[in-house]
Amino acid sequence: MRTAGTRPAVRICLWCAAAVLAEIALFASYRGHDARFHWFTHFFVGSSLALVGMAAVATRRRRPVPAPLVWPFLAHVGAMFPDLLFSGGVAHRRWMDVFLGHISTHYVPGRNLTWFVVFLASLGAYLTVVARDPGQLRR
Amino acid sequence: MTTGSRWARRPVRPLVAVWLAAAGGLGLLLLLAGGAQGPLDDRDQAWQRPGFLDAGDLPAPAPDVAPGVPTRGRPAVVFFERPGRVAALCRALERAPMPGGAAAAVVVAGRPPARCGAATVVGDAGGALAAAYGLRRPRDGGSPAGYAVVDGHGAIRYRTLDPGVAGRLGEVATMVAALP
Repeated sequence: MRTAGTRPAVRICLWCAAAVLAEIALFASYRGHDARFHWFTHFFVGSSLALVGMAAVATRRRRPVPAPLVWPFLAHVGAMFPDLLFSGGVAHRRWMDVFLGHISTHYVPGRNLTWFVVFLASLGAYLTVVARDPGQLRR
Repeated sequence: MTTGSRWARRPVRPLVAVWLAAAGGLGLLLLLAGGAQGPLDDRDQAWQRPGFLDAGDLPAPAPDVAPGVPTRGRPAVVFFERPGRVAALCRALERAPMPGGAAAAVVVAGRPPARCGAATVVGDAGGALAAAYGLRRPRDGGSPAGYAVVDGHGAIRYRTLDPGVAGRLGEVATMVAALP
């Protein structure tokens, strides 16, 4: 028997499955670079920036952002764009830092562990905004 | 005050579950990725195949690996390989000549083969050449497997460990093509 909450739950699951498949496709695209390292850096950096932006938009609109899994994915694609070029035979250049710090983000102390912590903090920030009572936001 | 917005009705527990799932799932993947590194990989993955010229303290003068190699006015790729693995690299070099007119040299950490395609072959049992080129030690602490790209002015512009370079000469060509 179908309950009232079944349809939204199915929709959420479909979004999650699509997001996971899309990220697997990005991971598999790393023929020129080592996915084991580079995918994580650009995923964490792109997603963190997206989540901070989502938190700001959600605060302003007083409701969760639409399509919340699309934002991190698009930011991830932006952050890793030079790696797609590299697979096509275009070497990296310093100016490619315009793609969300594509070059320099690999060299922060702590490497991917640092970006993992930043990602978790950003996700926590967005979820905190989403969970907040709008009455509190007005004060 | 209660409003009719979806936001006000959102329970906290599922959001905590989302955070925990992300932390656990991605943390596990990160651990697995770290454990998947091979003995010839760089301990610090940021320095393995960075894909851009002049990383770290580069450019730096390239020492000669043999008389006249590298040659001024002509880019060169200096490969560093272990004796037991050099045959695969030589087969790859025979199939795919260096792009951009670049010269190739193969420095073997032990007894070198008699020939290796069109590359100059040099023995480096003590690892002095690998050290002079500034190649990093792999995870197992042994001699490095990787390569350096030298420009026509005799400067090292790119260097990396790459134990899979025999199957990735296209990436070497990308870095040679990036030379000014």
